[in-house]
Amino acid sequence: MAVGISGYGVFIPRLRIKREEYVKAWGSFAAAGVAEKSVMGFDEDVLTSAAKVSKRALESVPLSPDKVSRFALASTSPPYTEKLLSGTVLVTVGVPNATYSSDHTTSTRAGTEAIIAGFEHVMANPKGIALVAAADAPRASMWGSVEHQLGAGAAAYVLSSENLVAELEGHASNVTEHFGERFKPRDDPLLHDLNVKKFAEGALISNTTKAASSLMKKLNRKPEEYQHVVIQQPDAKVPSSVGGKLGFTEPQLAAGLVSKNLGDLGAASVPVGLAAVLDIAKVGDKVLVVSYGSGAGADALSFKVVGDRKAVPRVQAEMDRKEYIEYVKYLKLKGAIV
Amino acid sequence: MAHVSVPMYWRTIPQRYKMIGQKCKKCGHVNFPPKGVCKYCSVSSEFEDLQLSGRGKVHTFVLISSGGAPPEFAEQEKAGGMYPVAIVELAEGPKVIGQIADADPKTVKIGMPVKTELRKIYTEEDVIRYGFKFVPATEEK
Repeated sequence: MAVGISGYGVFIPRLRIKREEYVKAWGSFAAAGVAEKSVMGFDEDVLTSAAKVSKRALESVPLSPDKVSRFALASTSPPYTEKLLSGTVLVTVGVPNATYSSDHTTSTRAGTEAIIAGFEHVMANPKGIALVAAADAPRASMWGSVEHQLGAGAAAYVLSSENLVAELEGHASNVTEHFGERFKPRDDPLLHDLNVKKFAEGALISNTTKAASSLMKKLNRKPEEYQHVVIQQPDAKVPSSVGGKLGFTEPQLAAGLVSKNLGDLGAASVPVGLAAVLDIAKVGDKVLVVSYGSGAGADALSFKVVGDRKAVPRVQAEMDRKEYIEYVKYLKLKGAIV
Repeated sequence: MAHVSVPMYWRTIPQRYKMIGQKCKKCGHVNFPPKGVCKYCSVSSEFEDLQLSGRGKVHTFVLISSGGAPPEFAEQEKAGGMYPVAIVELAEGPKVIGQIADADPKTVKIGMPVKTELRKIYTEEDVIRYGFKFVPATEEK
């Protein structure tokens, strides 16, 4: 039985800050290849965004929320460290209270963790319908260079065995023990990054390339057989470094490279990148996505596009809807002035 | 700050998160937010729940700027700047008050189509109080 994506939806908050604002304030901007990034408004958070994309994903099928039998939420920046998060979204969207839900929050890999959890449900239950939402707006100290890259965005997917836009061909993962890169100690709401760049890059490259190459081996696939590849985007350069090692070229990465205009979307990075690809993909296209979460692990998923139904609004339309803010307003919105 | 206890706020979740209104069983008018006694016939207290569309038009509005915000919205005004508060005529008839989010305050106009979506309203006792705000409805279908 084929399972896959039956619908999807995206949301990008309206506010943007340009790299020039950081250069004016700090003298430099640390996020390679990022021209501007998205910022949530004062009254938005990952739960309001997740509710919005969940509704959009269901409308794109279209499917009534009471048909959903599995819900999964992913974010590294939830508003509470203890309190069930799914409930807020589930109740707002109208997903039945008896639906099993899970919250995935401890690394930027959370987005694909939730997607794989959703696929496991639909593979085990042929009539099952999983709704998966990834929303993120990670926060770090304004003094840390990791803060420069952090953006905000959300995407949701309806997974089932009917009405498919893209069929899942397979998935593979890799997990290792790494530390000292991006992490959040208990009792600190802000990200730490010890800035051991080469070490962190090594963890990222080794996990992502291992997950991706084991999947391609399993599927007997060569890099050139993929039209589109989406790789975790802490900035806009990392996907090229990983992609290069796997034998992918820039044109394969182009459609899903949303970080150039949105920054690091954390757990929503790969989900939003995949939506941007689905927006323009043709029937028959093969799509590979590879997530990464510090600590460390990577998930790779391979899709074949089987339908040309597109979600509204498109990622590009969400990117174009924007209002620029200055750095001082950014500090206020992020609660960085106390 | 106007104190709203957690249990009291919790009871309003269907109207605040999902736009559940009530239809009077006697006169048929739609009440929103839900009432104890029908606002229109002033007689009946029997209702059936009704899922509203969340769509409507701006009936009138004000812009709240520095010094004008109630305490629970003061921080929002300081961080995010001036914000519009509107009376919106819902598609089902009732007029309801709410903030307009996600729009340049200068672009808000009487008659403008809006729809509801979930936002953070304010935080009290460290508990985030979510609820609907209106956003411009022109950007999508």
